[in-house]
Amino acid sequence: MLIRLAIFSAVSIALLGSAAVQAQDAYPSRPITMIVAFPPGGVADKNARPTSAAIEKVLGQPVTITNRPGAGGAVGNAVVAHAKPDGYTIGMLLSSVSVIPAADELFNRKPAYTLDELRTIALISADPMILIVAAKSNWKSVKDLVDDIKKKPGQYSFSSSGIYGALHMPMEMFFHAAGGLKLRHVPTKGGAPALRQLLGEHVDFTAGGPAAIGPHIRSGKLRPLASWGENRHPAYPKVPTFRELGYDIVYYIWAGMFAPAGTPDSVIKVLRDATRTAVASAEFKKAMKNLNSPIVYKDAPEFHKYWRDDATRLAAIVKMVGKVETK
Amino acid sequence: MGETLDGLLLGFSIALQPSILVYAFVGCILGTLVGMMPGLGPLAGISLLLPATFGLNPIIAMVVLGGVYYGAMYGGSTTSILMRIPGEAASVMTCIDGYAMTQNGRAGPALAIAAIGSFFAGTFGVLGLMLLAPTLAAWALAFGAPEFTALLMMGLFILAYMSGGSMLKTLSMAGLGLLLGMIGIDQMSGFTRFTYGLVELGDGISIVPVAVGLFGVSEILLTAGQEEPPKVQKPKLRELIPSREDFRLSVGPIGRGSLLGFLIGVIPGSAHIISSFVSYGLERRLSKHPERFGNGAIEGVAGPESANNAASSGAFVPMLALGIPTSPITAVMIAAIMVHGIEPGPLLIVDQPELFWGFVASMYVGNVVLLILNLPMVGLFVNLLRIPYAYLYPCILAFCIVGCFSVNNSMMDVWIMLIMGAVGYGLRKFDYDLAPVALGLVLSPMLEISLGQSLAMSAGDYTIFIERPIATTMFALGLVLFGFAIKPLIFKGKKDWRSKVGLEGE
Repeated sequence: MLIRLAIFSAVSIALLGSAAVQAQDAYPSRPITMIVAFPPGGVADKNARPTSAAIEKVLGQPVTITNRPGAGGAVGNAVVAHAKPDGYTIGMLLSSVSVIPAADELFNRKPAYTLDELRTIALISADPMILIVAAKSNWKSVKDLVDDIKKKPGQYSFSSSGIYGALHMPMEMFFHAAGGLKLRHVPTKGGAPALRQLLGEHVDFTAGGPAAIGPHIRSGKLRPLASWGENRHPAYPKVPTFRELGYDIVYYIWAGMFAPAGTPDSVIKVLRDATRTAVASAEFKKAMKNLNSPIVYKDAPEFHKYWRDDATRLAAIVKMVGKVETK
Repeated sequence: MGETLDGLLLGFSIALQPSILVYAFVGCILGTLVGMMPGLGPLAGISLLLPATFGLNPIIAMVVLGGVYYGAMYGGSTTSILMRIPGEAASVMTCIDGYAMTQNGRAGPALAIAAIGSFFAGTFGVLGLMLLAPTLAAWALAFGAPEFTALLMMGLFILAYMSGGSMLKTLSMAGLGLLLGMIGIDQMSGFTRFTYGLVELGDGISIVPVAVGLFGVSEILLTAGQEEPPKVQKPKLRELIPSREDFRLSVGPIGRGSLLGFLIGVIPGSAHIISSFVSYGLERRLSKHPERFGNGAIEGVAGPESANNAASSGAFVPMLALGIPTSPITAVMIAAIMVHGIEPGPLLIVDQPELFWGFVASMYVGNVVLLILNLPMVGLFVNLLRIPYAYLYPCILAFCIVGCFSVNNSMMDVWIMLIMGAVGYGLRKFDYDLAPVALGLVLSPMLEISLGQSLAMSAGDYTIFIERPIATTMFALGLVLFGFAIKPLIFKGKKDWRSKVGLEGE
């Protein structure tokens, strides 16, 4: 509370002080707020903390993190999309940023925000999902699993972090690529509870990020079968990619920095340059290594293309999965 | 056993180092303050402090955050007892009898028993954590969706024991709570319900603003509506200490609350809130004089306060033994050690004995610190009641607003709190009990998703609930409880205590 109060007072004093001279000052002349659409400790937050720390050193202005969790990231994403486009509000958003508008469209809802309301600054990290089963199960390969599921359609179950969520999407890609597998879907409220479902043997398989599943693989509880990566993951050199196995599917959970669409190019350039310098710093690299978060840096134009390709693919899957009741 | 002792010695050699001791102290004080702030609970407290721990070493980070966590569980009771404002969601039950005790001029004993009960429960919890972590962790994993459904159904049956007034009013309030819990995105299908296009309502209405509004704000409004200002209390020192009779009545509730709270705390989910509700229901059921509940029964403070503190230790079991967070709070703590490159997981105890045992030992130390900190403060806190209401209440209202806002940085939560304050005011004017609303709101989203998950696991087959031993046992228990609850409705001749004390008008 005191910390929050101190930050709050610092920010308000800075705001008041800078309001008068803002017009002639070069960006950034006051602290920048980085919105994180998930609670502290989550993937987005863990990426945002070292990034903001590294950027504020380059820019010479504080970059404070504000967590705005809610509705699977929709609340925080909308805050970034609708912020004043002056570069003082940016966001560290996850790949789910592309799925929410697609789900809103599916349900004919007033969209919380649209993708056109955001523009890219830089991609910070990306991690592929890995398919895991219990180590004591008979499934040694994806083929074993697919064969069994085909023998008993609708009998096996998988857990996810939530419907249309970061674990549900890659699973549906897999089921579709394997010729329309039928499964029981047990949605939960996050990656950790989804993993717990598998560890407690309440479901047959799930997916997880390399860092989260690592300890359970090493302790002999879980077995990885395949990864959704483009290439084999360095921590799991023996685990094949789905591409190698003949399924043309790729899925990464990524974290990237965004600004409201109307942010001027000059401001975006400052942020891009600062981020480029920041991600190259030794301090940032060490922090990200500690967090098991692989740095995958892409500058705005490249990231924009990457993001839009990803979004198109995900929107198609959301459409294909459709609403639950219509199944 | 020898291994445990060695470990514990190692732990104390770390936890008693002056630098770590200072941090444990700071964590406990911060936690107590956070817990006392209306709306700011342990989760908000440790989330706000998380970034500040990045610069510390991982053991100190865990010790500070742990201190904040159980400190907040202690502190949450203070405002509940003195002002009927739940400092955090798990203190809702403490409001009822704790505040009634304050109105009877017995705030001192209530605060003292809350602190003592918390101390025993906390220490019991650490013992359990230390000795049984690996065993219990396996049990926690076995606790899947069907088991959770059964536990929550038991929680629902307990609703019937929650209030002293008419059953109809209790159940209608529980219904209101359950309906409020339906707001938001349906986890099974992704549909949004009753959000009226407001994105912020996607996750539903959270318990914190509702509890603060229903209990705290409504109390402030009711006081403002009185013709004469309430008399400012001037407690005497002699009245601060619990009597022999108070201790005698509290021993059972503290013991049962500790055991129950620890076991429920181990279960994944936001179980510490439920633990206090279950404990309250249990104590009322077991009491020879249930009519005292709601009017200042010390058991109604001792039980729930012990339960929620034991539950906070229990929550560390799956986190430390398996590296799996079972609640948002433990998730933040895991993040705090991951920042330092330590991998939480089943091998944590083996790979990082200093961290594990240092943390366990610091929890013993922390509980002692909190007791030393809180008992002498009882006098100080009680003296807050000397402040005239005209100054005290506007300040409290301001704290409520700031506290609710800072949990999620959300104005929506502030509006919910204010609206719930008005709703609570109206309902209390008509003599409705508000605790069932809070319990209904906590239970319904959890019950809904776990029922959905269970049926997803079985492809819609309800027999899943009778095929699993833990779930079946709990359902059977729940049915027995339910039978007790409806007995007076079926056997009109045998009146239950409600009619004995003339509460149920017939």
